[in-house]
Amino acid sequence: MAQFLAQSFWLVPIYPLIGVSFSLLWSPGMIRRTGPRPAGYVNLLMTFFSLLHGLIAFPAVWQQPANYIEIPWLQVAGLDLTLSLEISALTVGATTLITGLNFLAQIYAIGYLEMDWGWSRFFSLLALFEAGMCALVICNSLFFSYILLEILTLGTYLLIGFWLNQSLVVTGARDAFLTKRVGDLFLLMGVLALYPLAGTWNFNELAAWAATAEVSPTVMTLIGLALIAGPMGKCAQFPLHLWLDEAMEGPIPSTILRNSVVVAVGAWVLVKLEPVLALSSVLLNVIIAVGAATAIGGTLISIAQIDVKRSLSYLVSAYMGLIFIAVGTQQLEAALLLILTHAVSQGLLIMGTGSIILNNITQDLTQLGGLWGRRPISGLSYLVGLAGLIALPPLGGFWALLKLADGVWVSHPWVVAILLLVNTLAAFSTVREFGLIFAGSPKQMTVRSPENFWLITLPMTVLVGVNLHLPLILQSLSLLPSWATLNKDMALLLFWSSVAGCSIGAIVYVGQSIPKPIQLPWKKIQEFFAYDLYTPNLYRSSIVFSIDWLSRLTDWFDRYIVDGVVNLVGVAFLVGGETLKYGNSGQGQFYVLTIALGLAAMTIWMSWSFITHLF
Amino acid sequence: MQLQYFLLLAAALFCIGIYGLVTSRNAIRVLMSIELMLNAVNLNLMSFSNYLDRESIRGQVFTVFVITIAAAEAAVGLAIVLSIYRNRDTVDMEQFNLLKW
Repeated sequence: MAQFLAQSFWLVPIYPLIGVSFSLLWSPGMIRRTGPRPAGYVNLLMTFFSLLHGLIAFPAVWQQPANYIEIPWLQVAGLDLTLSLEISALTVGATTLITGLNFLAQIYAIGYLEMDWGWSRFFSLLALFEAGMCALVICNSLFFSYILLEILTLGTYLLIGFWLNQSLVVTGARDAFLTKRVGDLFLLMGVLALYPLAGTWNFNELAAWAATAEVSPTVMTLIGLALIAGPMGKCAQFPLHLWLDEAMEGPIPSTILRNSVVVAVGAWVLVKLEPVLALSSVLLNVIIAVGAATAIGGTLISIAQIDVKRSLSYLVSAYMGLIFIAVGTQQLEAALLLILTHAVSQGLLIMGTGSIILNNITQDLTQLGGLWGRRPISGLSYLVGLAGLIALPPLGGFWALLKLADGVWVSHPWVVAILLLVNTLAAFSTVREFGLIFAGSPKQMTVRSPENFWLITLPMTVLVGVNLHLPLILQSLSLLPSWATLNKDMALLLFWSSVAGCSIGAIVYVGQSIPKPIQLPWKKIQEFFAYDLYTPNLYRSSIVFSIDWLSRLTDWFDRYIVDGVVNLVGVAFLVGGETLKYGNSGQGQFYVLTIALGLAAMTIWMSWSFITHLF
Repeated sequence: MQLQYFLLLAAALFCIGIYGLVTSRNAIRVLMSIELMLNAVNLNLMSFSNYLDRESIRGQVFTVFVITIAAAEAAVGLAIVLSIYRNRDTVDMEQFNLLKW
């Protein structure tokens, strides 16, 4: 049974696609009488099938060599586009993570979108995401990864633009699409430039090629820069990070999915490309620099936010930055482990805050407070997510960060300092959010705040369980270091950095001795981070400004110069006709004169040779 | 006497005719200028037949025809002028520029 399911693992992305087509049937224009709810149920069922498929197939692929399926897609002269699928423990595990989180997010959405009629659109897009992500992780070809990344970009656009009658949603969806698209287009340049060098887009063959390749470092650096631009946009890295902030205008269940897994698909491609990227040491340093800048900047911005969702979204950018650092320092296992632990913890954090937002309406941290007594489950979920995200043993994030710190200690010692700083800041940021939501006295918006009903609470508590059991799961898969090989100094450093961040955050925000809202003595810096380093202004004054003016200029050129030249021909003929008609003067004698002159001229012309001989 | 002198005289007469044809305001004078031109042609024909074709004098035969045709043409021309005059009460060529652009 398990063997058969492992053989037919390519079905996993197909189930949600069936869900997509079925749930569209319940859109308000199609089934007008009975409402959209079955769309959600059908999708839930399909997601359950894919989850079950993955779970049953996992034992059959565990500790087995990877199995490859080749599906010819298109053969044209000289180009062989074969869809290669990799069925290994890693890909099956990743699809299980994706389908599992999607399953929980969909149950959550059934509760969260109770008062919404747009289920058909929403669930079909969630299922499209699920299909795209599953296909991406089992796909073993750079070319098809690019195709799937683009489909996911389109899915992001549609899903953020779910409530399209809100103006901020429309601009947010626009920015998300364009920003990710720019990254994807650079990725396409890289993908196309790689083919003449490597002659293949298959990840395994690329790795084999990279092992012995001798390419000019400049060429490799340029191609590599293009290749990382796609993941940079997808993972919301500096400077392509604004879209994730504006994507928080979408509904929370989709945010769960996006922040935990969708942004990680860029990191997945980056991990797969690591052998190629490792050909250029400059490139690895660029990846580390981008990741470090995003990690530190993201956590600092996150601390300065007053919006619940945005504060978490910058943490997503920061943790994706850590994954970039892991790839840049060639710690691939640490990167994959970080993707896993970040996905389950971040998903839980967003579920917890979403549960608060659903019945306190406001997302403003300054309007929330004093919920701990009445919202214990949401509070505990948030705490578990927090503990799983930062390096707090024995939960998942600790092991991922420890692996990373341990791996880079010899080669890049200063990266450890960045890790500790980011960990402290992330701990501070999450504890700050916890303190502002749950601690203190109730504010006007939170005076009456009941715990949510089971559809919200159930997936949340299940994810709490997954988070708490993650160390055990990792241990059973022997992914944890043994006690003997454990780098205890590093573990203590990480632990103390988390404790420092948590305790400072707790003193400032959970304790009530410091009056809120907190004003830094340097107001400029506080606003600088609160307004996301003024990135919107930066975009508007650089890229948007120049493209806007260039397009105005070309439009003007097209309208007046190109059109004008063609119109000038017409006008010239018109004016010519209008002017020359006055040659028809209506005077008979004038016509006679014309005839006489014409005859004379013709005579002279015909006898010109005689005339010249005459003299 | 040489042929050229006759031809030059005829050409001068023809040019005078053209000048009168183009510049006259009176329609009758236009007809008269046409007669001048036809007579210049007749002079040409006569001198060619005299100097180059003495035996069969075909030029003189042509001249007879041209004179008769010219007479007929002048008659029709006068008739046209008269009919215009009946309608428009003038023979001024500059009043006849109705059929322009």
